[in-house]
Amino acid sequence: MIKAIYYKEWIKTRWYCLLALLLSSGFAGYAMMRVARVCSLKGADHLWVVMIQRDAIFVDMLQFVPLFLGLAFAVVQFAPEMHHKSFKLTLHLPIRASKALASMLVFGGAVLLGIFALSLLIMWAYLHTVLAPELWRHIILSTLPWYLAGVAAYLLTSWIALEPTWKRRVLNGVVAVLLLRIYFLAPAPEAYNGFLPLLALVTLMYSLLSMLSLSNFRDGRQD
Amino acid sequence: MENVIECRNITHYYGKRLIYEDLSFAVPRGRILGLLGKNGTGKTTTINILSGFLQPRSGECLILGEKIGQMNPLTRRKISLLIEGHVQYQFMTIEQIERFYSRFYPNWKREAYYELMSRLKVAPHQRINRMSCGQRSQVALGLILAQDAEVLVLDDFSLGLDPGYRRLFVDYMREYAKAENKTVFLTSHIIQDMERLIDDCIIMDYGKILVQMPVEELLGKFRRYTTQVEADFKLKDTEGIYNPSVIRSSMELFSMLPEEEVKARLAAQGVGNLSVERVGLEDAFIGLTGKY
Repeated sequence: MIKAIYYKEWIKTRWYCLLALLLSSGFAGYAMMRVARVCSLKGADHLWVVMIQRDAIFVDMLQFVPLFLGLAFAVVQFAPEMHHKSFKLTLHLPIRASKALASMLVFGGAVLLGIFALSLLIMWAYLHTVLAPELWRHIILSTLPWYLAGVAAYLLTSWIALEPTWKRRVLNGVVAVLLLRIYFLAPAPEAYNGFLPLLALVTLMYSLLSMLSLSNFRDGRQD
Repeated sequence: MENVIECRNITHYYGKRLIYEDLSFAVPRGRILGLLGKNGTGKTTTINILSGFLQPRSGECLILGEKIGQMNPLTRRKISLLIEGHVQYQFMTIEQIERFYSRFYPNWKREAYYELMSRLKVAPHQRINRMSCGQRSQVALGLILAQDAEVLVLDDFSLGLDPGYRRLFVDYMREYAKAENKTVFLTSHIIQDMERLIDDCIIMDYGKILVQMPVEELLGKFRRYTTQVEADFKLKDTEGIYNPSVIRSSMELFSMLPEEEVKARLAAQGVGNLSVERVGLEDAFIGLTGKY
């Protein structure tokens, strides 16, 4: 039955999955092309110097891409469920409602992580050929909070989309903006390193918020 | 007879507005029960409670002996639900939706679904959101037939359908329910459709049940009385007489009492020369609930 839920989610989101994959990989690839251009014009040693002396990481353009992709993924996945309240169909399936929703979130989270992992792989594939391990790790570690923000945006938007009342949706939206701000507080590269495991754990915990919306939906809450 | 659906003393409010109080009813196995009521009397609220999407303020509902709030998810295999407007997953095609649902129901009857789909003039790869409301109703009906559940809960099945599709839906549903001994609880705002389909009816007014009985019994008893009176004539409230109205000098009223009894009660108020006629379910509904 879980496979059938994944099948439904795949039908719903497959075109967006492709678009998100192209966008995420495209941005990562473009950022690497820019690095490669600098490298070919001024040499790899120039890159090293700029990274060390000016604290540059060359991939700042990627900062909000995962956030946007995560948010849009949740909209693409959950807006059709809320259209004419067809989420009722999912909740009427002979499977525990929380299990059905958890499966939907696992699907979305796994697809997003896959897309993000490919972007990181693209960056690593090029960077490790021109930079010392300490330097490419520096860039990759600096981007990790942005990718976590993408997962957080997905989970928080799911929470908002599944909420049946507009008043709470607005309130949830405000809370979500404040929570997402946490991922962009420190501008310095690798500023989150010590905090990353905890941030990842907190991000995963956001999936529980969707269960609150589910409970409100099943209780028939209305504006 | 075993009750498949049972609601006991349901009370529900939206905010401070009372929808109904101490509502109780039961649907025995193999019967088709229609819930009739004007807009806002709580039909969809009742369906939402029965399908577990609304928690009533008090009281309890059971389907197949299980309390709805604590129902084992697998019991839902035995309950088909049609959501108002024939809502289905709009992003799926006819084939995809069949493949999806078939994984959840062990008794899935693929042939029943495709037999009905063969009547639709749509390609198997056409998405549901590109279908007319009538075609969507057939998809929903096909899925219900394929699921082969014991209990069917149908919310306003006639919404948005033209007469042809309504008739097709009603005839298929009636034949299926009777042949397979299914228990059906349904609502519709088109009462002529209900008359062809249901065995028993509940007629609701704001906050209460007016009548709960087999349709045959209701139509056997219910009569419309008409006569001529003075234009300003006003009938006193009389027990057993429903919704008397005078338009110009024509008076109309309804009753389930024996004819002699009605005539005697009206004669006491100086009203005579009554014409009596049997009515259909729609007129009985109007007679009980009023025209507005």
